[in-house]
Amino acid sequence: MSLPLFLAMMKSHGKLIAGFIYGAAAYIVLIIWIYPSIADMKGFNDMIAALPEGMRKLIGMENGINSLSDYVAGEFYGMLFLIILMVYVILTSTRVMARLIDQGSMAYMLATPNSRVKVAITQAAVLLTGLALIVGFTTLSGIAASEWLIQGYQLDIPSFIRMNVLTFLIFSTIAGYCFFISSVSNDEKKALGISAGITLLFYMLNMAGKLSEKTEWMLNFSIFKWYDPVKLINNEMDAIWIGCSLSISTFLLFMVSVIVFKNRNLPL
Amino acid sequence: MIIVKGLSKRFTEEKGLFDLNFEVQKGEVFGYIGPNGAGKSTTIRHLMGFMKPDSGHSSIDGMDCWNNAARIQEQTGYLPGEIVFLEGMTGLGFLSLVQKMRKQTSTKRRDELIERFQLDVKAPIRKMSKGMKQKVGIIAAFMHEPQVLILDEPTSGLDPLMQRVFIDLILEEKQNNKTILMSSHSFQEIERTCDSAGIIKDGKLVALEDMHRLRTVQRRVFEVKVKSENDMNTILHSNLDTEVKGERTVHVTVQGNDQEFLQLLSGCEVQHIDTRPQDLEDIFMHYYDRREVTK
Repeated sequence: MSLPLFLAMMKSHGKLIAGFIYGAAAYIVLIIWIYPSIADMKGFNDMIAALPEGMRKLIGMENGINSLSDYVAGEFYGMLFLIILMVYVILTSTRVMARLIDQGSMAYMLATPNSRVKVAITQAAVLLTGLALIVGFTTLSGIAASEWLIQGYQLDIPSFIRMNVLTFLIFSTIAGYCFFISSVSNDEKKALGISAGITLLFYMLNMAGKLSEKTEWMLNFSIFKWYDPVKLINNEMDAIWIGCSLSISTFLLFMVSVIVFKNRNLPL
Repeated sequence: MIIVKGLSKRFTEEKGLFDLNFEVQKGEVFGYIGPNGAGKSTTIRHLMGFMKPDSGHSSIDGMDCWNNAARIQEQTGYLPGEIVFLEGMTGLGFLSLVQKMRKQTSTKRRDELIERFQLDVKAPIRKMSKGMKQKVGIIAAFMHEPQVLILDEPTSGLDPLMQRVFIDLILEEKQNNKTILMSSHSFQEIERTCDSAGIIKDGKLVALEDMHRLRTVQRRVFEVKVKSENDMNTILHSNLDTEVKGERTVHVTVQGNDQEFLQLLSGCEVQHIDTRPQDLEDIFMHYYDRREVTK
């Protein structure tokens, strides 16, 4: 890794990352803040129970709202945060490689005595550091809001942190294949399109799979099968096993990307 | 210092590089000339290790350009043909990033070059004109005092004054025994600086000559306006290649026989003389013709 390049890239991506952090942190604080009024509302769970099962699964409220943890996991991690991270990962993975190759500024980095492997690892580090920062700040904001902003409701902090770690890992894996696409592309727009296409397909398979029992098989083709925040926070998934396999696939995806990038022709 | 041996890279049947061979000695300035799309930049991409040849190989200072790309960069300065920098940086920010990536600490040469090219380094790069960006690129290529310089169309975008500054810089580096390969489609630029030149067309090297020899085959067309019909006849009846262009105006093509042309004119009363601006095809007609014949 080249530290000067890493710092320069972090600086140029800083605004984007800060924007995502601001959006995610503000939203999680907001929904934690309004939790007491929802929890106190009589008949809310009855109303949820009246919805069709598929619908309940989709909005992350299979069993209604029983705790603050359930509520945060279903309402924030299952929906908005997922979209925020998807957008960040797709955009940034395209920017750190394909854009530099497409525009030609990659030529300047490779015209210094830094190997392609070193440059690619640095760019991957920028992508993952940004992701870690967004998830990290959101975790802290969530914990802080639940501790200080509301009274009488407890967030299960160890489970909450574990869920965040898995959120980071699942999006690292997504970042992994997006980074691969970005590393092999000459065209920025094409890389963006393919990454977004694959990820949206996964997302749609996930939605369709949750709708009814007949479509449940579709879940098996989606990476989001491993990402079920409500189950995660309630310890209903084997977090260690999932975490390990996600880490390994992330590592393999990035490694393959770097190797392919090392051996390809660059139109610089 | 720079060796290209049997380098081939096929994009399509027609496009690519086909069995390219040339060598640049240490301390030599090599001009690489050819029309757009002939394969100049593709050759340079191979030298920089951006592309892997289908067959053959190239090396700089004994190191293979593909396998040792990063190590070669320690002693090499590179100016890309199309200059795009990282976004959101100032000129100085970019130059110091490149310096840090090179682990270079001395800024003496950098500041000297900034002074020389009168570059406003505080300006954000996205607001810079093409010429200013070109200056940033030139400084980035020269500031670590490399032994080998690879310059892809270095003067494009520079105004005539800065072109002079650049040519002086090249001549100075030549004095310091640096090895320079520069591509260009301007013969004038190459003529003033290079010791030898390679001419490439459609991915094939059509000529590899020293500069002196090139000058003798270079064709120049002079537009001469004389004072009387008598002089006109003298010119038309000489051994030179002539073409009547108007009243008392004639185009004379000179190719190596400058002396003869001058002697002829000294006998005439010349009212006006001018050289026609020429394109590369014109200048190297000699070589291109020969290639057509061998086809």
